[in-house]
Amino acid sequence: MRYYESLYVVNPNFEQDRLDEVMKTVTDKMGEYGFSIINHRLWGKKRLAYAIQKHKYGSFILLHFETETVENLNQFQRFMILEKPILRNQTVVLDTRPEVQKEDEIVDESKEAVASSDSGSEKLEEQKSEEETKEVVAEESGETEDEVVKEEASIEKESVEEEISETVEEKVEETVEVEEKEEVQE
Amino acid sequence: MAFQSRRKFCYFKENSITEVDYKDVKLLRRFVNDQGKIMPRRVTGTSSKMHRKLVRAIKQARNIALMPYTNISTES
Repeated sequence: MRYYESLYVVNPNFEQDRLDEVMKTVTDKMGEYGFSIINHRLWGKKRLAYAIQKHKYGSFILLHFETETVENLNQFQRFMILEKPILRNQTVVLDTRPEVQKEDEIVDESKEAVASSDSGSEKLEEQKSEEETKEVVAEESGETEDEVVKEEASIEKESVEEEISETVEEKVEETVEVEEKEEVQE
Repeated sequence: MAFQSRRKFCYFKENSITEVDYKDVKLLRRFVNDQGKIMPRRVTGTSSKMHRKLVRAIKQARNIALMPYTNISTES
């Protein structure tokens, strides 16, 4: 028996219902090919290191499965590439049987993953902006926190970051204008 | 002028890690530079055996967009 781990990236704009739909189609296909699933869960929404089909984010889904025959693996790979909502996929051979994860652990892990990805992106923002603009970022994030509660968290993250970057740009432009005026006065 | 160099050590051996997971981006980031290039063994001090596993893991992470191939941003 050989064990495999497949990680695939799904379109970030998909809601939970459509994600479940995608996962169901994959599950059905696995049954068709004679693979038995060990784990199949959402790993979390993460920022991609580079844009894939112009998407900056992606919903990562982790799949563990086992099989005795290797024949259908190529067909499975083909299916994953042709499936439109799946942006990218990668299957890796595992040496040992992966542990079956309980649902409670999965929820905690996904939350942590989201939190860590948030802090990572914030750090990048801070590095880019200068000391003056840092204060602006802090104020902005405070205001936007209220908005986050209202709408869905996943979509909000993108918009918040965009807002921050926009405000940073505006601030920089303002400072440039002020400097120019001062020069004129002198 | 005695210049004492810091002793190099294998991070994986020190922490008794035997397998490198491509999903553990936090760990992999230690072994690439700002550009996203894999650092040479002579700099990191990683053992030959673990470096081979590390390189494989980094390349797998790049393929699935968890790590960048290069950090020159194309966004503007």
